Amino acid sequence: MTSAHATDPIVQELIEILGPDHVLTSTEDRMSYAYDASPLSGSVPRAVLFPGSSQEVSAVLKLANRERLPVIPRGGGTNVSGGSLGVQGALVLVLTRMNRILEIDERNMIAVVEPGVITGQFQAEVAKRGLYYPPDPSSLGFSTMGGNVAECAGGPRCCKYGVTRDYVLGLEVVLPTGEIIKTGARTMKCVAGYDMTRLFTGSEGTLGVITRIIVKLVPPPEACRTMLSIFPSMDAAAETVYRIMIAGTVPAALELLDNAYVRCIEDFAHVGFPKDAEAVLLIEVDGDKESLDKHVKRVADVCKAQGATEVRIAETPEQAAELWRGRRSAFGASARIAPTIIGEDVTLPRALIPAMAKRCREIATKYDVKIAVLGHAGDGNLHAAFLCDERDKAEMARVEEAMTELFTAALDLGGTCTGEHGIGALKPKFLAMEVGEAGLAAMKRIKDAMDPNGILNPGKMFPERVAP
Amino acid sequence: MTREFKRDWEGEAIRCIKCGACQVFCPVFLETQNESFLARGKVMMMRAHIKNEIGLTEGFAERMETCLLCKRCVANCPAGVRVDKLVEAARTEVADRQGLPLIKKVIFRVGLKHAGVFDTAMRLGKIGQGLLFRRVEQGMLPRIPMGLDKKRMLKSLAPRSLRASLPATTPARGPKQMRVAFFTGCAINYMYTDAGKAVVDVLSRGGAEVVLPRGQHCCGTPVRAHGDRDTAVEMAKANIDALERANADVIVTACASCGLALKEEWAELLHDDPGYGQRAKGLAAKVKDFSEVALSMPRVIDALGPVGARVTWHDPCHLVRGQKIAAQPRKLMRSVPALEFREMAQADNCCGSGGTFSLSHYDLTLKINSRKVKNIVDSGAEYVVTECPGCMMQIQDGLQQAGSPVQAMHLAELLSRSLAAREAGTTSAD
Repeated sequence: MTSAHATDPIVQELIEILGPDHVLTSTEDRMSYAYDASPLSGSVPRAVLFPGSSQEVSAVLKLANRERLPVIPRGGGTNVSGGSLGVQGALVLVLTRMNRILEIDERNMIAVVEPGVITGQFQAEVAKRGLYYPPDPSSLGFSTMGGNVAECAGGPRCCKYGVTRDYVLGLEVVLPTGEIIKTGARTMKCVAGYDMTRLFTGSEGTLGVITRIIVKLVPPPEACRTMLSIFPSMDAAAETVYRIMIAGTVPAALELLDNAYVRCIEDFAHVGFPKDAEAVLLIEVDGDKESLDKHVKRVADVCKAQGATEVRIAETPEQAAELWRGRRSAFGASARIAPTIIGEDVTLPRALIPAMAKRCREIATKYDVKIAVLGHAGDGNLHAAFLCDERDKAEMARVEEAMTELFTAALDLGGTCTGEHGIGALKPKFLAMEVGEAGLAAMKRIKDAMDPNGILNPGKMFPERVAP
Repeated sequence: MTREFKRDWEGEAIRCIKCGACQVFCPVFLETQNESFLARGKVMMMRAHIKNEIGLTEGFAERMETCLLCKRCVANCPAGVRVDKLVEAARTEVADRQGLPLIKKVIFRVGLKHAGVFDTAMRLGKIGQGLLFRRVEQGMLPRIPMGLDKKRMLKSLAPRSLRASLPATTPARGPKQMRVAFFTGCAINYMYTDAGKAVVDVLSRGGAEVVLPRGQHCCGTPVRAHGDRDTAVEMAKANIDALERANADVIVTACASCGLALKEEWAELLHDDPGYGQRAKGLAAKVKDFSEVALSMPRVIDALGPVGARVTWHDPCHLVRGQKIAAQPRKLMRSVPALEFREMAQADNCCGSGGTFSLSHYDLTLKINSRKVKNIVDSGAEYVVTECPGCMMQIQDGLQQAGSPVQAMHLAELLSRSLAAREAGTTSAD
């Protein structure tokens, strides 16, 4: 693990590019960039680099390409699929120093940011100008815009507002070979050539390093209302999700929580979730003040028609905040009942959520594992969380098998193995199952064309062997 | 009892789900932007140590030392991981396996552990400090480095300690409502004696008979925080003996860190000692922070006189997150006539003091402090009121370095002044 870094000529060259303060080489520093927020563990990299400009990123990539060194781009290290895990001998390229909001253009409703800007801080700045950047991954308080774009992050609001890719208009990207390119434009439409912007968005750091981002902004909703619908069965709640949408109202957020989550959230956060409810839907409706009551009533009517035993509409912003506090504490609350939480993000066409929820229950019973289900159900995204203990090897083996069956079930039903977390190091084999051999080979050809020496984020996205 | 890091702490360390939420809360990470200094990085390094992937290297020890124990990560951790307790345990692991550095060993084991030796040293210190420090208006600056930064301003030792200058028992003014034992802590006893006198003044006006129990001693937090748990245990026991003898209804602290030690940490230190463990718990039930007691005293609240000043409040980490006390001091300040209270931005952010952390990591602490100083100055206040002598020293130093005229003040001093103003029937001008 240790090496003679003081005399490592590569490190010397990196220091010349970045300056000594922006290159970390001690064992303790390097080991701290081996992991991310996924349950996997990575390898200790060779050095950790903090570039300050696109030019520095370019110089580093040229060097890495010349020396055939793996490079791992990284923001806040909040990736949950292992996309920013360290790789043996790699250079970890941390982009948090490039954290300026370069421009908020109110007249054209766009903004230009560097990749290290923290998403939540960007949203707050935009809100000060009366504008809105909706994508809201639950890590928004500490994950970066660059990481959000590279992973095409989602979140609860994506039910109505779409995911990160729906807001990215253009990018500046440093290619693995060192060229700095621009994609897209500052315009709402642009069909000049291939849609490279969308190619890099969600590319998980395998095609290029994003160094500048142009995003679209929208007007914020005038008002919003939150309600909690309580259901006597998971099936009834799951069935209600798509019925709300086809009734003509697209909620800003539509979250499904099963009894396991309802109980542990209530024990922890005391927000008034009924512990005997088999499932609840937490629904937020937003829009113009004038039309809000109509939409709230419509959603409430659908819930009642589907058998909701109770529909609680928050009377005040404080009551609404309490309900959302409960939802946000879901992860922490579950972490208190099991030391290891593995959160999955299979996503289905909305109308298949009842079927998938049923499969989750069957899989949990079959493999004797604990699965708690919560989902951004409005967009078909189901977060099945395995509550386990990493020290229990037998249990972890069962979890592994159950996870495989869960992904397979999602694919069988016509869904995807990942709605917003990415393939990373966790799901390459399911990518192959999902897109097929020819589909995977096509992706690999793009990868090879952009990154001929395979230096960018190796070991992620693609299975070890891909048929040429 | 033997300690074993893996057995005792693995269960807590693996609860970190590595989400990285601590990145926007950890004051050390906000300055260094280096993951190995982040709460998550430290916990992961402990896990690596448990799995024998890293030894107790100098680098490991340095990471564990570079934590303010401010608990911001703990308060904001989705999984509620007790990073503060883990860091202390890791420091203990380093101290157990590798021993304390000699200088710390002498200070902790000989000096701090024995109340008599400590007191003598602090009295001699008053002579010595003239040789080692030069006096400036607000305190003193080191003349020679001695491991301290030469820019670091410290509070001078008082000519006479608090406990040497006050009677053992101060009677209640008017009918006696309760008997209060004042646990002064070191900083108030030796440096911030005016704050200590103000505590006694306010409580006695409020109807308390105030005793300064003999034999009370350092609460042990600095020693424990550096990993010397055994010495901390001895100190806790000596203090429990001394405080029980005082036979008081309430035990009052006016230092956030002392308060947390008495309320919670002594019982944790002594958890496997059946006798002292129980006694620590019994004692903890009687411990109240000064602001809690003052707020409960009608004879204080109803007798507050005007203080024409603009003030802001700094939440000490061990008060706001350690003891969950934030509303009480604000209520008290809002009860003072003519006083203008201005909430500063991020009032509960750490000032960077971290007890002795500020002495050994001065450059880092200066950066953390400068954020606090800016918020204080931006509030437009003339005084920053708080309840932790460590914060007061740190903040006064930062204000001095920034050339600001704002003064740090203990809450008790403000209340004492307010009560005196009513008594004198005049408005305090400054």
